[in-house]
Amino acid sequence: MLAFEMERPASLKEAFEILSRSGPDTAVKAGGTDLLVWMKKNLVHPELIVDLSLIEELKGISFDPSGGLVIGALATVNEVAEHPQVGKFYPALMDAALSHSDFVMRNKATVVGNLCSAVPSGDMIAPCCVYEGVMHLVGPAGRRKVPVMEFITGPRKNVLQKGEIVKSVELPLPKGHSAGCYLKLGRRNALDLAQVGVACVITDGPGEREYRLSFGAVTPRPVRAKVAEDLLRGVVSPDESLLDKVAEAAMACVDPITDVRASREYRISMVGELTKKALRKCLERF
Amino acid sequence: MPKQPINVVLNGKPVTLEVEPRTTLLRALREFGVTSVKRGCEEGECGTCTVLLDGKLQKSCMVLAVEAEGRKVVTSEGLLGPDGELHPVQKAFVEEGAIQCGFCTPGMVLAAVDLLNRHPDPTDEQIKEGLSGNLCRCTGYVSIIRAVHKAAAMLKERR
Repeated sequence: MLAFEMERPASLKEAFEILSRSGPDTAVKAGGTDLLVWMKKNLVHPELIVDLSLIEELKGISFDPSGGLVIGALATVNEVAEHPQVGKFYPALMDAALSHSDFVMRNKATVVGNLCSAVPSGDMIAPCCVYEGVMHLVGPAGRRKVPVMEFITGPRKNVLQKGEIVKSVELPLPKGHSAGCYLKLGRRNALDLAQVGVACVITDGPGEREYRLSFGAVTPRPVRAKVAEDLLRGVVSPDESLLDKVAEAAMACVDPITDVRASREYRISMVGELTKKALRKCLERF
Repeated sequence: MPKQPINVVLNGKPVTLEVEPRTTLLRALREFGVTSVKRGCEEGECGTCTVLLDGKLQKSCMVLAVEAEGRKVVTSEGLLGPDGELHPVQKAFVEEGAIQCGFCTPGMVLAAVDLLNRHPDPTDEQIKEGLSGNLCRCTGYVSIIRAVHKAAAMLKERR
């Protein structure tokens, strides 16, 4: 690993001061499990790393039934997986958290960091999209909120401006009775990047039954399967022929690449299969 | 890059490590002479560098040494009793032949200790999940799972 300098601010105010006078080759770090690997592989060469891990304002997870779940930038994947309200109200996020890397890495890797890294196979992206997550950004010019769907603009790209930090991601509580799941297709049970991930949420909300579907590892930017969701809207128990149509619609909205883990064709085909499987599992859990 | 001192409590003893910002906790510990912490992949995959940091399992190649400032680090050496006797988990690994080449063992043992703290009477599935971050290329894991069950029984007897 090439040499770099490191700052460890104790507050957001201090972090903004450091970032305002830092050069272009500055990296911001929470857990660091992506950053350190990328540096080791010579993909990035920061001259300065600003380690956020001491900033109290970025720690913790809070839940409020009227608002929802707020996951601080430093909350680890295990902290989220072990949070009682996550298991109860956000099962798709819980499934995804438990599918992420392995037990030890989840003590270091953060949920917000996974979103900021914006790698298409990031397991936190699809569940945060089906729960309609909103990123809370803070910077020297003030605060702004950006939906996760818009926060990620491409592989390893996000909308963060220089000097800006993600404070938290907020997931509104699904209205009414709901169920969710995240299915991940990998080559082994742990320590694997997804070939395909499917996140599904069903809610009975204030109106008719609503379905939400999002995918991991098969699109350069986060996507919701709007056509498939519309086909299902209001249907209480979809039959096989509807599920087939939904699977077709799901396959039409992804655009995967071929890489060492799987081919484009295989991934598309699996999106269809896993979409049906995820819907069945959600209906079982409902 | 000049080195800076960091203070950690290593296996119960306060020590000072001289590190650069880029020095990982793994390299800092090995340079200090703690050779049970193995350098495997250095990419967070293999788990041979696993330590307990403030009581939580961490892969020390994924922790910059400066992040350990003021914190407690436990390595496999720190599991030994006051007279140097093996920890029940270490003993069970020896007795069940869960050690072959031994490279994964220090990390595997720490992961097993952490697992048994959370699940004193674990199922096979819980063991697999708890040890999912530690790779072993010799045993096929069968003897390791057997050793964890044995350690659970030994710890239960001790309580």
